[in-house]
Amino acid sequence: MENFKETLKNMIEKIKEVFKRKETTYSEETIDIKDSKRKAIIYKVVVYSFIIFFAILVLIPFYWMILTSLKTLEQVEEVPPTLWIAFKDMMFVNYLNALNAAPYLRYMLNTVIVATISTVGTIFTTIFAAFAFARLNFRGRDIVFMVLISTMMIPGEMFVITNYITVSRLGWYSPFNQTFGQALLALTLPFMTSIFYIFFLRQAFKQIPDELYLASKVDGTSDFKYLWRIMVPIAKPTIITITILNAMGTWSAYIWPNLVTKEIEYRLVTNGLRNAYLDLTGRIAYNEQMAAAMIVTFPLFVVFLLLKKYIMRGVSRSGIKG
Amino acid sequence: MEIRLENITKIFVQKDKSEVIAVDTLNITIPTGKLIGLLGPSGCGKSTTLYMIAGLLKPNGGRIFFGDEDVTDTAPEDRGIGLVFQNYALYPHMTVRQNIMFPLENIKVPKPEAMIRAQEMADLVGIGELMDRKPKELSGGQQQRVAIARALVKKPRVLLLDEPLSNLDARLRLQTREEIKRIQRETGITTIFVTHDQEEAMSISDEIVLMDFGVRRQMGDPQDVYDKPENLFAAKFLGTPPINIFDGEIKNNNIVLAGKNIGKSKGSDQKVVIGIRPEGFIVNEKGSFELDVDMVETIGRDTSLIINDPTRENNTFRAIIETKHRIKPGDVLKVNIKKDKLFIFDVDLGNLIN
Amino acid sequence: MLEKQSNLKAWLYLLPAMALLLVFTFYPLFNAFYLAFLRDYSYLNGTAEGYTLFGNFIDVIQGANFRIAMKNTSIIVFISVPISVMVALLISVALNSIKKLQGMFQTIFFLPYVTNAIAIGMAFAFIFHQDYGLFNLILGVFGIDPVNWVGLGASWNTAMFALLVYTVWGGLAFKIMVFLAGLQNIDKQYYDAARVDSTPKWRVFSRITVPLLSPMIAYITITSFIGAFKAYRTIIGMFGPTLRPPGTLSKDSLITIVGLVYDSIAQADAVGKISQAAAASIILFLITLSFTGVQMIISKKRVHY
Repeated sequence: MENFKETLKNMIEKIKEVFKRKETTYSEETIDIKDSKRKAIIYKVVVYSFIIFFAILVLIPFYWMILTSLKTLEQVEEVPPTLWIAFKDMMFVNYLNALNAAPYLRYMLNTVIVATISTVGTIFTTIFAAFAFARLNFRGRDIVFMVLISTMMIPGEMFVITNYITVSRLGWYSPFNQTFGQALLALTLPFMTSIFYIFFLRQAFKQIPDELYLASKVDGTSDFKYLWRIMVPIAKPTIITITILNAMGTWSAYIWPNLVTKEIEYRLVTNGLRNAYLDLTGRIAYNEQMAAAMIVTFPLFVVFLLLKKYIMRGVSRSGIKG
Repeated sequence: MEIRLENITKIFVQKDKSEVIAVDTLNITIPTGKLIGLLGPSGCGKSTTLYMIAGLLKPNGGRIFFGDEDVTDTAPEDRGIGLVFQNYALYPHMTVRQNIMFPLENIKVPKPEAMIRAQEMADLVGIGELMDRKPKELSGGQQQRVAIARALVKKPRVLLLDEPLSNLDARLRLQTREEIKRIQRETGITTIFVTHDQEEAMSISDEIVLMDFGVRRQMGDPQDVYDKPENLFAAKFLGTPPINIFDGEIKNNNIVLAGKNIGKSKGSDQKVVIGIRPEGFIVNEKGSFELDVDMVETIGRDTSLIINDPTRENNTFRAIIETKHRIKPGDVLKVNIKKDKLFIFDVDLGNLIN
Repeated sequence: MLEKQSNLKAWLYLLPAMALLLVFTFYPLFNAFYLAFLRDYSYLNGTAEGYTLFGNFIDVIQGANFRIAMKNTSIIVFISVPISVMVALLISVALNSIKKLQGMFQTIFFLPYVTNAIAIGMAFAFIFHQDYGLFNLILGVFGIDPVNWVGLGASWNTAMFALLVYTVWGGLAFKIMVFLAGLQNIDKQYYDAARVDSTPKWRVFSRITVPLLSPMIAYITITSFIGAFKAYRTIIGMFGPTLRPPGTLSKDSLITIVGLVYDSIAQADAVGKISQAAAASIILFLITLSFTGVQMIISKKRVHY
């Protein structure tokens, strides 16, 4: 008992000591308000400078591309290069020349056709598959889903090899003759479904409350009707995201179209980029080259700025990108 | 450290550009070394007030003083406050020791000394043995204490607690509120805490500040606020079971309830709101009121009666009487009304009329 | 589950997707292994000279380009990814701490995400042009003579430098997006608590933000490693299908492992080449698989708290 009292006494002494210590951090009445404010301002300046610096670095390639695309070839070859050109000097004709240097209008038409077919196809296969995984109960569902998910990490190059052979065997591609229809099949069919999109849409479907499904069952709605009348409209934002990402993917496709098209005319916009841009004397026409790069880049910008929120949804879900 | 709020106003701009006045020209003086409870219903601006004292929110108008020093424009890091958040905000990746030592690191206390101070503070709040655990390995009550230790370790001028007990279960709540009171008394630090629970506020505060719609409704010793509510809000907010409210009037300096005089008032003739605390009824054979007992709730210490009253909205009110009276449902009880449990308020503003 | 099993119906819904996946994903997956074990296979005739366990792998590994490709890929992976992760982290933290113009800067930083790797690669190649490029112009300000980065006969060193700059630039957007989302998920109260405790900004960054974000940093780093192992389009963009500056030897090529695969596919008609492509793709697969394994171990352990 004595002991206990002793301890208690010690403790209270200690506590008092702690609070009596002289070097209290906040010696009273010494705070300099101006200092507070100045620190905050300095911090802001530093942060904004940092951000602006990197924002400029990010924008420079775009600026250089646009600037070059509007110069005359003589201006392009000026040393040192000029960093600014007046509006009246801008050579919009470069864009026309770039369009003519490769069959760009044809490429755009091809791209639109391929994007439409593969996107519509993808949407349908994805909706059906996502519905089955999200809503239906069948033997092996979880195993099949696991297998699908695990193939997502396999590099696409592994598939390309065999798909190339398959497309050739099916007669859709041959170095000797190929119709546009065959080229279209080769360009679209392998991309008419996507495990990532199925996974993505399944997540959206899963968030729809079970009660809606039960209610529709009570009303005698068929699964098929429920899917199209209830689930698809509710998951519309996700479906829009899939549409945009898929269409943008087609727009930027380069390797596969190069592999499986015989005629230059069957290819897509991005393929036109590596065209040789030469002027009449055989110099590289960098201005036209950059104009071509702009022609390919600009629509992506517009889509991005208009549909940013849909694209971001997809990005936050997707894991892997170089 | 005395804390003074002068005409503090905080306006929040909503998403739709509309403005909400969270705190409205608030004036409070908080005396040194006291434990003050900021009390009010949710949305009354009490947490906003606390955060303005902390400096995490900036008032739109008015000044805040710590002692004689105007800290209105001082950044929170320079105010010398300790703040305990409602959900404690313990850093999940640090041990208890690291959490408590963290504020000391910032003010460059040498490590050996910091270790000692952290241990002292942990002992003070009773978690000295848990120093190497991570927050998620602690119970809610223990986390709470770590948060208090972290707030106190740098010896702040003021300790602020935001709903310190709301995340604890009922048993812990009782224990912790005593703990807070003890820590405050032992350290003598000026402490302000926010709560919506009147019992909590009354049980540990030296003074309470009652707030509603961003306005100070009453401030003072908890018992005083209970005994002498300055307005209908204060009368209604404090007390369980709550005060009974009746419509009445003042006529020729008499307070009239249900046609009977129940007291005198200097107020002019008008309709008034009459409040009678449940314990304000005295059983008396010659009492001037008859209570029609609907239900009897035996608590043990006293007896709670539910009284039929067709004139009231929900047809009943509550009276608490001593247990020596054995009452059955259906009894009719004659009572008088204690003068000091009777309050009258004006109908428009709800202010007390003497 | 809500209702009884409905096997037939479910498979009917799955049919379109599954049929396509079978033909274009699962069959190719197994076929890649099959091809890799065929000796002297010609896909045109469908003939092979029996089987070989490692023959094609040895052919790939002993091929002139394999070591170059491994070297290039490793450099791209282990230099560009850490740099871009760090820069992206700093940018996102800075971006997260401001209010004014945050949306505008966000849009700017996200912009590279939607661009076309080939188009921007061309723009970068031109920025690094010896005479007309912006990069040398800036170097000139600091008194440095123009360097032939990617032009005729440019060295591997300079070309790789330019490629790394482009790769870091191109990788920022996605990482910033993910980090920013992660930062916005951190409870603001930690920062309020740190402020009240007078924590300097850099310590808030190193002691609170980074530890709390560490699971996401690990995830992004590893997935970016995997992504960078597949580098190919960026190189086509900058250097064209030859994958090297004009007028240079193949030892100075910037070919990557994926480049090896496509080089072999391009020569598919030659006997055995398609098997080598398959073998190369399996090597790539094994590398990414090991990184995925690391990722899984970390994500299990990532309970940093």
